[in-house]
Amino acid sequence: MEDRVQAYILMDVEIGMTDDVVNGLRKIEEATKIAVTTGGVDIVVLLETSSLVELYNITVQKIHKIPGIKDTQTAVVEKMMST
Amino acid sequence: MSSVSQRPVSKRSSATVFYTLAIGSGVMRTLSVAFDFFGLGWFPINPLVYGFLSQWTSFAVTLIVVVVLSLRHSSMGRRRAIGYHLDPDFDKIQLLPKKPMVYVVLAGVFAGVSTLAYYLLVGSSDASTVLPYGQMVIIYLLVGDLLGEKDTPTIVEIQSIVSILFGVLLIGAEPGGFDIGSLLIVLVPLNLSSAFITYYQRKAKRYEIRPGLRVDSLNMRLWSLLVLNTMMSLLSIPMLPVDWIGIMTASFAPLSLMMIGSSLATFVSIVMYVQALGRGSMSVVNSLSAVSVVLGIPVTVVGSFLGVSVISADPFLWTLKILGVILVVIGVVALQASEVKSLVLVKVKPLTGDLLLSLFDIKGVEKVSALAGNYDYILSIKGRNLAKTRTKILSRIHKIEGVADVETLVVIREYR
Repeated sequence: MEDRVQAYILMDVEIGMTDDVVNGLRKIEEATKIAVTTGGVDIVVLLETSSLVELYNITVQKIHKIPGIKDTQTAVVEKMMST
Repeated sequence: MSSVSQRPVSKRSSATVFYTLAIGSGVMRTLSVAFDFFGLGWFPINPLVYGFLSQWTSFAVTLIVVVVLSLRHSSMGRRRAIGYHLDPDFDKIQLLPKKPMVYVVLAGVFAGVSTLAYYLLVGSSDASTVLPYGQMVIIYLLVGDLLGEKDTPTIVEIQSIVSILFGVLLIGAEPGGFDIGSLLIVLVPLNLSSAFITYYQRKAKRYEIRPGLRVDSLNMRLWSLLVLNTMMSLLSIPMLPVDWIGIMTASFAPLSLMMIGSSLATFVSIVMYVQALGRGSMSVVNSLSAVSVVLGIPVTVVGSFLGVSVISADPFLWTLKILGVILVVIGVVALQASEVKSLVLVKVKPLTGDLLLSLFDIKGVEKVSALAGNYDYILSIKGRNLAKTRTKILSRIHKIEGVADVETLVVIREYR
């Protein structure tokens, strides 16, 4: 059993709502990194949770309730390498 | 041993802990130099004899600490070594696998040269001078990177190089002009070998023993210290006074507290640095731990009150020194602050194998994750500016066999 599930959430944000969305995301303890980006998506969040169930709960109950988010795409990390 | 995926997720990401660790690492570095100065100031002893004695004491202290950290205890239902809490890759005291061991040995050989240069300097100058000198290594690393990649420097890189170089020159100013001897030691053996140390240590630290398991910093410190001491001892024996064994046995007892203090401070500094790196970005850690450059001045002043060293009372010279310190700090921080981070989403063609390692091998790639979902990989990359990100990193990702589509997201603001 893995005791950690990491996922990137890529999201599109309504115009003018970026700061509000970021402030909402910063209240989520499991969001260990939040990046505002240029390009295809507006915000990329790294979530670190203990299980897929917890991941589901956070995305559905916390992230999807933040006003201003147009669309999200969740990418679960299968393997990670970092320095 | 524990792989990355078995580590508990930290429940709080506290900024305070991070800043304490990063600044603490710099403070500890200053402390270890301060111990050396006070030791040398109170007991008139040849600095090389002191260095010889101090380095082997340091090895003994580190050996004992690592052995103690190898003891096991129960934590969250698992038997773990105490050292696990310092570095999650640590299991017990042991030799490293062959390849990283070669890197550690090479790093140790260069560290021997640089440490010898350090003790030569400690004997002839004060803490406020030696600490900024150590930052010169950044110039060599930068120039090495530029030459290695046949790259043109950005304006910030030139600015940092010039600022650090002039800062070091100002700090080295003496009443009669420049101390050419010390400057030569600083420019060649001290920092050139530090650049090689950093290079080989990076290689060792990036090496994976098993997927998710890296070389731990505690064993790395222990073994490179052993090589360092051997190398330094070999080099310094011809330079030692004739009756060095006698001097050593006579001065060990009074100096032992200073030497143990110095080596413990160095050890704590390294551990704090590694811990801080685990919590934040390398650039912020390096900038914050550059506080050691500034702290050298109060240490020297306190030292002069305690009668350890005689410092020049000339206010003009001190103005020059402080200007130099400011230049060095600005050079370090400017370089670390000028970074463009990007996230790269990669899609691969059908029937492509695992690209995780070949993507991670590209210089500038800090993190790669394989994903379930629309995209196959996400990369965190770091470049000095956007143009370099494109030429040095993105073009290499395009060249990897099997990459079908790349989407680059430039990070404009980041929270962690």
